[in-house]
Amino acid sequence: MEPVRYDDRQEIVSLRLQPAVSGKRRNLKKYLYAVLLLLPLLLFIIGFFVIPMLYILYLSFIDTEGPGGTNATYSISNYGRFFTDPYYLHSLWLTIKVSLYTVIVSLLLGYPVALTMAKCSPRVRGLLTLLVASPLLISIVVRNFGWYLLLLPNGTVNQLLIGLGITESPLKLLFSEAGVVIGLSNAYLPFMILSIATSLYNIDPSLEKAAAILGASPFRSFISITLPLSLPGIVSGMVLVFSMSMSAYVTPALMGGANVPVLPVVAYDQIINLLRWTYGSAVSYVLLGITLAIVTIFTRMMEKGRYREVFR
Amino acid sequence: MQALANDVEIRGVYKRIGRNVILDGIDLEVKQGELLTLLGPSGCGKTSTLNVIAGFLDIDQGDVFIKGRRVNDIPAYKRDLGMVFQTYSLFPHMTVYENLDFGLSLRKVPKDEKKRRIQKALELVKMTGLEDRYPRELSGGQRQRVAIARALVVQPKLLLLDEPLSNLDAKLRHELRAEIKRLQKEVGVTTIFVTHDQEEALSMSDRIVVMNKGKIEQVGTPTEIYIHPRTEFVFQFIGKSNQLQGRVKSIDSRMISVELEDSGQVLVEAENVMGSDRTCTKGDAVKLYIRPEKLMIQPVENTNPNYNSHTATIVQMNYLGSAWEIEVSLLGKRMQVLHPSIEAGWTIGTEVMVGWNPSDMMIVKK
Ligand SMILES: Nc1ncnc2c1ncn2[C@@H]1O[C@H](COP(=O)(O)OP(=O)(O)OP(=O)(O)O)[C@@H](O)[C@H]1O
Ligand SMILES: [Mg+2]
Repeated sequence: MEPVRYDDRQEIVSLRLQPAVSGKRRNLKKYLYAVLLLLPLLLFIIGFFVIPMLYILYLSFIDTEGPGGTNATYSISNYGRFFTDPYYLHSLWLTIKVSLYTVIVSLLLGYPVALTMAKCSPRVRGLLTLLVASPLLISIVVRNFGWYLLLLPNGTVNQLLIGLGITESPLKLLFSEAGVVIGLSNAYLPFMILSIATSLYNIDPSLEKAAAILGASPFRSFISITLPLSLPGIVSGMVLVFSMSMSAYVTPALMGGANVPVLPVVAYDQIINLLRWTYGSAVSYVLLGITLAIVTIFTRMMEKGRYREVFR
Repeated sequence: MQALANDVEIRGVYKRIGRNVILDGIDLEVKQGELLTLLGPSGCGKTSTLNVIAGFLDIDQGDVFIKGRRVNDIPAYKRDLGMVFQTYSLFPHMTVYENLDFGLSLRKVPKDEKKRRIQKALELVKMTGLEDRYPRELSGGQRQRVAIARALVVQPKLLLLDEPLSNLDAKLRHELRAEIKRLQKEVGVTTIFVTHDQEEALSMSDRIVVMNKGKIEQVGTPTEIYIHPRTEFVFQFIGKSNQLQGRVKSIDSRMISVELEDSGQVLVEAENVMGSDRTCTKGDAVKLYIRPEKLMIQPVENTNPNYNSHTATIVQMNYLGSAWEIEVSLLGKRMQVLHPSIEAGWTIGTEVMVGWNPSDMMIVKK
């Protein structure tokens, strides 16, 4: 019955490591044991995540284009350049916009599904869970090419829209923000649904009865009871989907192409195509910083807001 | 139409889920202002009956009237009732005040009156000063009080309580038991209380409805139920009992004489026949029941000709503080006796005389 805990989610986002057992002296043995168990993972994370990240951070502060030419000097000029060049600022804004749309779309599509899962019998629930998680079983590239075919100017979706008379000429779904949002929503919807569903499962069903007997219609009961109590799931789903969308590369590259140059695509381009490692590193860190900042501010706001009690 | 004095009338309610018959022809009337208890073992349909009244359970057959209005097709949220659940069911994201405010706001009660009524309700359950606490910050007993206040503050047509005390410890349960009774009389709200605890039912109720397997076994005041149980089930469920078996030897208008299966003979008052038709005839195999506190235990030399009296041997003695629980071997059977005192020198193996009034023994056809 333990609801999704906040700390768990923040760890997913920031990959902060915390010892599983408190370090009190009398627990020393237990603590050592835990460390021992965690050691392989710890080494893996240090070797393949922490060190590369630190290296990239180091690179981002190297200035190779300054007066010294190839003689590297340390400066924040890479960051300065990012925040003064409209192209990159636009790219940042685009990334945030696309991610926000993805969050909204997957929230709107996901909530009703999660609600259905919470209401149905355990057997149907298992089946639905499998169905919801099934997109995760397909390679992201394969899935995107599927959408590719559907969203082409003369693809199935456009033919359907024209056939139904909703639009006269084909919509530009591919190589557009819409295409990226469709692709990202499809990819991350399972995280949103499962996260919301988990918090819905934890709501005591008698609360709805209590609301009803006090005179609340099903709609009113949903607005006043179910929705606020599922906020932890909503917030964790939003945070997950948002941070994954911010850092998504494959889907924007395939579905948006050059028309939707989000930051991960820009960083990739800088490093792989233009071999500007130092600038690409700075772009990566800007992306990381902005994502963390937005997520932190958002979760803090929710935790301190009207429904702070729900997050206890 | 129904008499005005009945706040609730249930007629021929039948409900099946899958192959389970959950309510099997329930007929019930709840009088205005009374505290009626639904009592029965787990799974007998108490909660289901309450849910039918509340509107949480659709029925297959029958009618439900609340204050003279047929409510079969009226959803729970339009029935204007108050309900307290076993798990308290306070809204965890709302303070005590907001919990109480919920129903009042839905009824569009003006702000000043809301405030006044919430204060009054909190006073009633002795929870003044805790308005701003969240349910998480309350003890079990306090939560239950708030739940009761939340149900009462909307001035419901009926108060429904589904085992509201079963999650509390024994001492608190006793306390709240008395308090609910006091509250109910003070407010005067017609109340239906569900419990599987016979002591709770006996001590709180104006009337008790004993249920078993989706049917009503007996409806009556606590004393009626305890002293004149109409069925074997009620007798056994409502208190401890000793059982004997035998065959009817003779019957007259006052007394039934029964030849016991091992040896001996006992007299039972003819009124005390339990069972569906409440009769028995000569030669019937019967079961006899008597409660431990109705058995009198005396030194061997004392006998009373109007009583059933038999010699017995003490097998075990337990001191309970307020009384002695004495197990005796009587007529070849182990029997429990509850007696306020013992004679000096009584011990295991002592021969005693055990007697009882024929009016205290119940009889039922096998
Ligand atoms: N949703 C359901 N589906 C199938 N059977 C049910 C359902 N709800 C209740 N029952 C059955 O109906 C019967 C009556 O249930 P009910 O909850 O009314 O019992 P109760 O008297 O309140 O018992 P308890 O004291 O354990 O709460 C039980 O046998 C139960 O198994
Ligand atoms: Mg029940």
